[in-house]
Amino acid sequence: MFGTLIRIAMRNLLAHKLKSFIVGGILVFGTMLVLLGAALLGSIEASMAESITGSVSGHLQLASSKGKDQLVLFPGPLDGNEIGVIEDFPKVRARLEALPEVRAVLPQGFDYAMIFAANLIDRKLANMRTLRGKGELETYRPVRDHVRRIVELLDRDIQRIRGVIDLDKDDGARRGAEDVHHAAQPEFWADFEENFAKRMEFLENKVAQMAIGEDILFIRYMGTDIARFTSTFNRFEMVRGEPIPPGQRGVVLNTLYHEEMLKQKTARRLDKMKDKIAEGARFESDDELREWRRMNVTQYKEISWQLDDAAADRVAEKLRAHLGPAPVEAAEAASPTDDASGPAHAVDGLLRRFLDMDDGNFAARYQLFYDVIAKELQLYRVDVGDTLTIRGMSQGGYMSSVNVKVYGTFRFQGLDKSALGGMVNLMDIVSYRDLYGFVTAEQKAEIKALEKRSGLQEIAAENAEDALFGEDADLAAEASATGFDEFADVDMSKGAAKWNERLTDIVYTQAQIDGGVVRNAAVVLNDPKQLQAARIAIERIAAEEKLPIKVLDWKQASGMLGNFVSVIYAVLLVAILGVFGVALLIINNSMVLSTMERTKEIGTIRAIGGSRRFVLWMFLIESIVLGAVFGAIGVGLGAGIVGWLGNVGIPATNDTLVFLFGGPRMYPWLSGAHVAFALGLVVMVTTISTIYPALLATRVTPLEAMQDKEG
Amino acid sequence: MTQSGGQPGAIVSLDSVYKNYKLGSVEVPALRGIDLAIDAGEFTVIAGPSGSGKTTLLNLVGCVDVASSGTVRVAGEDTGQLSERALTQLRLRALGFIFQSFNLVSVLDAFQNVEFPLLLQGGSTKGERARRVDELMDKVGLGKYKHHRPNELSGGQRQRVAIARALVTNPRIVLADEPTANLDSATGHAIIDLMKELNTTQGTTFIFSTHDPKVMHQAGRLVELVDGQIASIQQLGVDAAPPADPHAPATAQV
Ligand SMILES: Nc1ncnc2c1ncn2[C@@H]1O[C@H](COP(=O)(O)OP(=O)(O)OP(=O)(O)O)[C@@H](O)[C@H]1O
Ligand SMILES: [Mg+2]
Repeated sequence: MFGTLIRIAMRNLLAHKLKSFIVGGILVFGTMLVLLGAALLGSIEASMAESITGSVSGHLQLASSKGKDQLVLFPGPLDGNEIGVIEDFPKVRARLEALPEVRAVLPQGFDYAMIFAANLIDRKLANMRTLRGKGELETYRPVRDHVRRIVELLDRDIQRIRGVIDLDKDDGARRGAEDVHHAAQPEFWADFEENFAKRMEFLENKVAQMAIGEDILFIRYMGTDIARFTSTFNRFEMVRGEPIPPGQRGVVLNTLYHEEMLKQKTARRLDKMKDKIAEGARFESDDELREWRRMNVTQYKEISWQLDDAAADRVAEKLRAHLGPAPVEAAEAASPTDDASGPAHAVDGLLRRFLDMDDGNFAARYQLFYDVIAKELQLYRVDVGDTLTIRGMSQGGYMSSVNVKVYGTFRFQGLDKSALGGMVNLMDIVSYRDLYGFVTAEQKAEIKALEKRSGLQEIAAENAEDALFGEDADLAAEASATGFDEFADVDMSKGAAKWNERLTDIVYTQAQIDGGVVRNAAVVLNDPKQLQAARIAIERIAAEEKLPIKVLDWKQASGMLGNFVSVIYAVLLVAILGVFGVALLIINNSMVLSTMERTKEIGTIRAIGGSRRFVLWMFLIESIVLGAVFGAIGVGLGAGIVGWLGNVGIPATNDTLVFLFGGPRMYPWLSGAHVAFALGLVVMVTTISTIYPALLATRVTPLEAMQDKEG
Repeated sequence: MTQSGGQPGAIVSLDSVYKNYKLGSVEVPALRGIDLAIDAGEFTVIAGPSGSGKTTLLNLVGCVDVASSGTVRVAGEDTGQLSERALTQLRLRALGFIFQSFNLVSVLDAFQNVEFPLLLQGGSTKGERARRVDELMDKVGLGKYKHHRPNELSGGQRQRVAIARALVTNPRIVLADEPTANLDSATGHAIIDLMKELNTTQGTTFIFSTHDPKVMHQAGRLVELVDGQIASIQQLGVDAAPPADPHAPATAQV
């Protein structure tokens, strides 16, 4: 019976070749689309899941069920931050870690903060004061000359800008420009030593602020149980330095953040140029390369003013040897605009020539840059081993601040080039709590004791505590009203440094790490496939034990980013609906026509004893065969394409894609589920589109067979 | 299917059967009071001018239409009392149809067309079906054309496929509405000869309509319709006796 039905179906498809070809074409296309879409999205979802779960979120996230805002790990501008606090985290952790699915539950907290890295002139001025104070005049003088050089460079720059932008409109800017110009005059330096205090004050208060104001940087960090984080999150990998010692305060910086935000700009651009050239880009055809080169040349000062006279001489000598005599250098030296406002060191022109690289000399000059120039520079504004002052806006809205040691740099494997995933830095959770403004009674007492021991007489005890934790709203208001500079003074004073040193030496116990305030927690599972099971188990425990927590999967917790895949799914779905909608209409139409054409045949089948049900099946089977045959062809083609892509990989052309692909290339794969889904869908579509014509066919009476038309 | 009521011994009986067609608001009377009994094994020809009601009568007997009034009994069943599904079953098990325009399923070959009713009936193995189909195809002289599609066969050959299809289930009654109308007269005669031979050898009851006076004379019994009424019934020849050997091979050739 079914054999006959399938035979009739196949024969009918073959008998109407053109129609089958058109309908089949649409079905093949639709099936391919479904298969490709499902495979790509499935692969993206899987790699994204690995990226996010292995680096930041874990498989599930816990947050307080009483929070006002939804927990979002990668927040957009509209996402609120009031997610509440998980009560009694140690209990939650103990209960959940008892579940067989759960590998670990880690406390977490995310926030933004500012880091302060004093700018070059600030640092040099401070250095001058110290050296002169100590009477080390031999070392003092080159520093002073360096400052002079910086001021001269700054002045030249301002004079140049003045020609382009009308600075004089803005009163402040004009006065600033005049101050710098004043400090760049030989007279200012002629009697510098005689008027040291006055001159220094002028430099510190009037001139320093005119130097590039990039002394405030934002940092996004995750506070967590570092020791357990590094052992549970499989994408984490140290790059330089060492991990934060267990239980101690500290940060490790994400390599990408360290490179992108903290590295000397020329060096960073050269690195990026090198990567791009390695990928096959060439100057003449690549706008970005040319733009970076242009910036390197025009901003040669970024290098130049880090060099004191001796270093500048060393660099100039090497560059001259490498570049040889060139008319360009002579022209530069003679250039009236360049030299208008003071003597330029020969290194300036050499640097500009050097940085004007091309395809032929890039490799050699890149090498030379690191061999010669980089050695004279502070390559990173904050580097491994430094102590970093981080200031955050605490929960109450006042400034809080901690000093933490930078132990090293790390990367999340596959995400090293992705800004989305690569910009999260790691901090111990105790410092995080301090920054966020959570202080337990125990901690307070501890701090008090520490203050006494470290002999912190110079700073008022309350003031220090306030600066760090800002507990008292009144004091905080007063503190923030005083501005950053006062804070800087507090932090830089010897006492504070010593005090911070002591603080960094403390080893916190697991109870202290878990016992403090926890805003959200990551749940890492033994097997990611058990996500739903684990979620249900956790929700059951939470309900049974009345734990005020809610459970989100990594996708929900990722906010916009997690929705990304859902959005593409929706787009794909619309496309598929479109294709199959058209297929549905066409198949429906052609089947209705075919019902009419075949009225006599249907009537005959009915007359010789075929039931209505048989007729219904005849049509349904025909559509199922149609769907199956062309679906199979579509699946074959789609699988071929996925297989090919799986071999060559799809390159991630931007940061978002790197993140989504979990690396620089994605190798999509196909699963049985994808094939079953695509085939099921196409058969379903053809079947649905046949229901109406099939019902029409069952209405044909055997009388139709009796009409004596030739058939 | 037991015989209950109607003429005893009759396999088909019509009892004051009327059939009206509605054409808009007008009632067109097609049959006006038909009383007729046909015994098993008869070879009956329905004749009459165009529009006299021959097709209408055969449709009623063939269970593809129902009478406006009166009773139609086929193989013992009152067709007016049967459900759509039961009528389908009756057609499948007790009746065979031969159509004026052959009505083969165009996408199936000759063998598959003949096999088709057996598949609808179900319950047979592939081997059983093949034996039965081969036997009948040989009987109608198409042993060599089993795998030809209808459009690869002549009109006479197609009609012989249709005859084989009508007989493959061993029906008690075979109905044919002008089976020779689309054939030339020589072929038509051969078809009638074949039917007659099958009637004799198998004992199948044949009822068919025709315009052709020559064909009429082949009948065992000739029923003449005029304006929806029986004008005359003539007994022309001897009806088939119960067959000595129902599987005797037929050698009729067109
Ligand atoms: N479906 C129908 N609707 C309306 N009237 C019909 C219908 N079928 C048949 N008739 C009418 O019923 C009458 C009998 O028709 P029928 O087809 O049975 O005649 P017939 O003897 O088979 O004629 P022919 O030799 O031309 O085939 C005719 O007057 C015809 O017009
Ligand atoms: Mg007729």
